[in-house]
Amino acid sequence: MNIRPAQPLEAIAGFAALLREHGLKVGIAEQQAMVRAALSLPLDRWKQVDAAWRAIACHDARDWRRWAELFERYWHPQRLKGSTKVSGQTRPNRSLQQLVQSLHEGMAGGTPPPQRATSDVALNAPALPPDEPGQGRAQGGASRTEALHDRSLSQWLPQDLAQLERLAEQVALRLRKRLTRRWHDSATGHRLDVRRTLRASLRTGGLPLNPVWRAPRRERPRLFILVDVSRSMETHAQLFLRIARAFVLAMDARVFVFHTRLAEVTPLLRSDSAAVQEKVNAVTAGFGGGTRIATSVADFHAVHARAQLTRSARVWVLSDGFDADEPPCLAEELARVRGRGARIAWFHPSEQPPASMAMRAVNEQRGLVERYARLNSLRDLASLAEQAL
Amino acid sequence: MTDADLRVSLQRVGHLADEALATTLWLAGELQRPLLVEGDAGVGKTALAVALAQARGQRLVRLQCHEGLDLSQAAYEWNYGKQLLAIRLHETQPGERVREADLFARDYLLERRLLQAISSDAPCVLLIDEIDRADEAFEAFLLEVLADYQITVPELGTVTARHVPQVVLTSNGTRELSDALRRRCLYHYLDHPTLAREIAIVRATLPQAEGQLVEQAVAFVQKLRRDDLSKKPGIAETLDWVRALHRLDFKALPDDPLALVPTLACLLKTREDRFQMGEDRIRQLMEGRRSVGVAEKAPQQI
Repeated sequence: MNIRPAQPLEAIAGFAALLREHGLKVGIAEQQAMVRAALSLPLDRWKQVDAAWRAIACHDARDWRRWAELFERYWHPQRLKGSTKVSGQTRPNRSLQQLVQSLHEGMAGGTPPPQRATSDVALNAPALPPDEPGQGRAQGGASRTEALHDRSLSQWLPQDLAQLERLAEQVALRLRKRLTRRWHDSATGHRLDVRRTLRASLRTGGLPLNPVWRAPRRERPRLFILVDVSRSMETHAQLFLRIARAFVLAMDARVFVFHTRLAEVTPLLRSDSAAVQEKVNAVTAGFGGGTRIATSVADFHAVHARAQLTRSARVWVLSDGFDADEPPCLAEELARVRGRGARIAWFHPSEQPPASMAMRAVNEQRGLVERYARLNSLRDLASLAEQAL
Repeated sequence: MTDADLRVSLQRVGHLADEALATTLWLAGELQRPLLVEGDAGVGKTALAVALAQARGQRLVRLQCHEGLDLSQAAYEWNYGKQLLAIRLHETQPGERVREADLFARDYLLERRLLQAISSDAPCVLLIDEIDRADEAFEAFLLEVLADYQITVPELGTVTARHVPQVVLTSNGTRELSDALRRRCLYHYLDHPTLAREIAIVRATLPQAEGQLVEQAVAFVQKLRRDDLSKKPGIAETLDWVRALHRLDFKALPDDPLALVPTLACLLKTREDRFQMGEDRIRQLMEGRRSVGVAEKAPQQI
């Protein structure tokens, strides 16, 4: 099947839809630019469409890294190794060379210019073309999207990581930048910056002709993530660390791991290394058996984060709540964290919130843990991203 | 000029760009869109803009961003001293009264980098270096400049570009840039060069260095980058290192790793990295260079 002249714009729109589905911000303007780029390139240089479109559609390093796979998947699905063909589905036949040629012929044949043509129904196509793989449509009663979202995070696959990072970024966006307390009192939001005004007045012989105003100060909450890496959390710890890493990258969170003691692993998570788990294992190698959450939390607020636990701090504990310390200790230590103004959220892999003795003592003190949330699948993380945290 | 021509021009001025980068640079000119270049420090983002200006034979206007950069430092400023002087001069002449329009004329305007690029008589390349270091307020101001290539001076009116400058923005990712700015730009992520490209770059820049030394040194750096370093050496560091080795009269990498240790200051810029790169690790990396093919084992000591 060859691409007819009427189809190039639809094919580009389908490609843009695929890019959007994977988190790239590709709107009408980008699609118009893609068409213009394809038209600007000489026909014999059609292979450079890849580089040209990449420059247009990608807006950051993450998009850049994802591009090659998405481009291949859409335009050269036959080249992808390991992709499975779903029964009853026809493999799309898209030739980039033909597409560029069709666009050029369309222009030469006096069809409407690309700017107008791209704003037609083809670019407003809400979804992928019918033969596009990867969309969430049901086949024979089963939806592949559902399966991906609901799969337990203990069975995570490396390809889930990109989605996981995107969701973590969405959560980080919701946590991003609130007005500081001092600015809450100022209704107008204008304050004179005396130092900079005086400095600027030197240029005008000491006359403060150009007053300098302070911009309202917005700060993002300081996020601390405590990840339980004890035996009972073995199956989830690795992915929880991946989630924590996404927050380190997205909003400079500080990450600690604990089972019988607490250790900070933020520097280890900064570099994208396959050996993250090995490093964390090395850090926690000397720890004894069991889980001592209360001791770890005490160490956390008294030593590691003493100066940073303020009203704007958020503490997320990723644990199943089984504590080998005395049951009331955990509530006491969490109360000390809460006393500094930090807000605590507890994420658990189980269906119900943890109900150990220690957690029961915590729950008896109202408002100590602000919220409990299940974190066992990408769907859970997605729902977190939708809620205000 | 096609993208292939631009690539040749870049090569002529000593910048070896790959095909994709040349296409992106060419496209930025065709679509008259700014180009945002990101990448690790030392991969050649700034050098790219400099080379582009040389390749096109155009003037390079460079705006170095920093915290607190404002309109008066980046775009324009009224020359208050000159204005005050003009007022005093008029006061000394009886009967003459200075008019406001006279004082806010082009003569009293100090053009900073952005306005210089916009009002330039000839096409130029505008490099906005390390945009992530500037404040968000400046980024917002930049949106107007990059969208319409014009700057509004309230007292004078709007200055529109006679020739749309080719804008190159660089960022090291110390701060997240706004979506609005990103979407106005074409984007290119400049990665560390491949082995062959890096050898070609070093040879082009340091033709006096021995070929064997260049190949071995670049292979060593490539392996070093795969290590878990907190600051990976860029192409600038490779050039520094090869230059240092050449000055020390090395024709090839020495067999003794201890001889290399003092020169590693050119490559490793943090305490942890220096600590991590002990004699044994250097030996491992160097022994790797002697292997031919992936199947051959490192020489074993008897």
